[in-house]
Amino acid sequence: MHRAARLNVSGVLINAAALVLVLSYALPYIYLLMTSIKPAADVQQIPPSFFPAVVSFENFREVLRSSTLPRAFVNSLTVAVLTTALSLSVAVTAAYVATQYRRRVTTIFLLFALVTRMVPSVALGVPLFQLLKSLGLLDTIPGLVLAHTSAAVPLALLLMSAFFEGVPKELEEAARMDGCTRFQAFRKIILPVMTGGMAVTALFTFITSWNEFLYALLLTSEATKTAPIVIAEYNSVYGLAWGAMTAAAVLYSLPVIIVTLALQKQIVGGLTFGAVKG
Amino acid sequence: MAGIELCNINKVYGNSFHALHDLSFDIRDGEFMVFVGPSGCGKSTALRMIAGLESITSGELRIGDRLVNDVDPKDRDIAMVFQSYALYPHKTVRENIAFPLLMAGLPKTEIASRVDEAARILELTALLDRRPALLSGGQRQRVAMGRAIVRKPAAFLMDEPLSNLDAKLRVQMRAEIASLQRKLNVTTIYVTHDQVEAMTMGDRVAVMKGGVLQQVDTPQNLYNRPDNVFVAAFIGSPSMNLYEAVLNGTTLTLGSNSFEIPDRVFEYRPSLGGASSRRVIVGIRPEHMNDAAIRPSSAEISAPVTLVEALGSESMVHLNIDAPRVDAGDPDAVADIGSKKAAVARFSPKSLVRAGDIARIAVDAEELHFFQPDSRTSIW
Repeated sequence: MHRAARLNVSGVLINAAALVLVLSYALPYIYLLMTSIKPAADVQQIPPSFFPAVVSFENFREVLRSSTLPRAFVNSLTVAVLTTALSLSVAVTAAYVATQYRRRVTTIFLLFALVTRMVPSVALGVPLFQLLKSLGLLDTIPGLVLAHTSAAVPLALLLMSAFFEGVPKELEEAARMDGCTRFQAFRKIILPVMTGGMAVTALFTFITSWNEFLYALLLTSEATKTAPIVIAEYNSVYGLAWGAMTAAAVLYSLPVIIVTLALQKQIVGGLTFGAVKG
Repeated sequence: MAGIELCNINKVYGNSFHALHDLSFDIRDGEFMVFVGPSGCGKSTALRMIAGLESITSGELRIGDRLVNDVDPKDRDIAMVFQSYALYPHKTVRENIAFPLLMAGLPKTEIASRVDEAARILELTALLDRRPALLSGGQRQRVAMGRAIVRKPAAFLMDEPLSNLDAKLRVQMRAEIASLQRKLNVTTIYVTHDQVEAMTMGDRVAVMKGGVLQQVDTPQNLYNRPDNVFVAAFIGSPSMNLYEAVLNGTTLTLGSNSFEIPDRVFEYRPSLGGASSRRVIVGIRPEHMNDAAIRPSSAEISAPVTLVEALGSESMVHLNIDAPRVDAGDPDAVADIGSKKAAVARFSPKSLVRAGDIARIAVDAEELHFFQPDSRTSIW
């Protein structure tokens, strides 16, 4: 009885600590959510209130009525999907070769991928602007996809390399003994084994592109403006539209939340890949 | 089915490491050949070269009558069982076994019947719809075997397939693999570092060390007529006891002990006689040293006992023989217990010797092995 009570106390303490941790992450988002459902007049009231006095969806109606945000959403989605597809196809193949056929040159290759992560994106912004300008790709979807891919590939490469390190070399060899060419072994055996790892990498790449602000600001102007730019523009010389901005931000965060929840199983599987013998 | 012929096979890696030196021998059609040797001896490299997973630096490899040096693994018509089993984790047992047939483009009905047949032979029928993660070590091993036999290949290659199993299961699977091979009569190359596996399973055994083939022969011949000190010590458990000794006419001096070598020994080892006094390496198997109190002999030595391990059916008696011990060159050999001079004798369980006694040991002098001290090759 005494022991049970002690266990109960420690359980409560652990849960309380977990709750504090979750709240520290979730509170800003909850505040965003609460602000987005306040009537426009209540948004900037002094002192500010955490919960809305009246629930109103007028902020959402306003942002959805405007023509700029839905188009920006389509642009963001197109760019993020294409960036994910391109980054993944480059990273998966490169990481496989770099890890399974390890040579000095592949180690240097992976090291360089790490180094590129250390260069601030603002330093690459101007060269990228010049490059895309000379290719005639400024303010185009392919231009922004290329820019985002250049930023996303190093991380995707490092993530995929870590996942491939956990794949025994014998799997490919067994497939080759069973009648596969090297590419067939990769396609029929290695890739299906890596779905968890690829899901994690795809999600991180998608989020990197979906949330990317700096390159989108530098490399787009009108036609291909993405949602983060449009959301930022609610703070303009004409005033700060808090309500609309929070509603747009809530809408913008939904796809990432939905994708994360949908891929939850694969993500957990991917993150624990190699931890147990298959 | 087909025989396999290795002719002066060499493997030199990019860093100039010479892993295999002029490996040459034939494996007959339907034969069970075991490659055995300590770690780093090149046995797995040789197997992987036969599989096509490693390139051949020089020499010729033939499967059947076909030169396969540059043939892709998938076109060599051989199946391989890996140490880690290398089962496809995303496929069920059925899909794992069917995979090579699927790649060969066989019709679905034939694939199904062959998978069922392989599953029946290996008693896997009840497990066909499970994933490898849900199988025990022994079951996984059987699935790997199933994937190999279902193709009816020209040869099986097995790379230490039992090393991940516990000791009891290993003994059971050892017998199962050997009987399966006899039943299917498919040429098989089996790599192991365990000389007991090699001796019990192989029709012939190739002993390797440092990338050099030491001897290829039947298990019994390897045991009875080892070509050199390394093979003599590697085959047999506990190892052969090897000491430097002096042969003077028919008298062998082993440290402070001397005894007569019977004439019969000089009849079947004619090169041994002749010289008045010569240095030799003498090898005594543990079972050829007995307690003289129980089985007296004309050839007796005495030595202090350092340890007695009673195993029920026999006793392993560790002795301190005061002659220079010879290192056989096995990098995996365990350091001797107690003393660098320790020998092991296999005594009858009736023996009363205890640690600390000075034991009188009857040596079966007709069963002694003799080697050249310089070349370390057998004297015949």
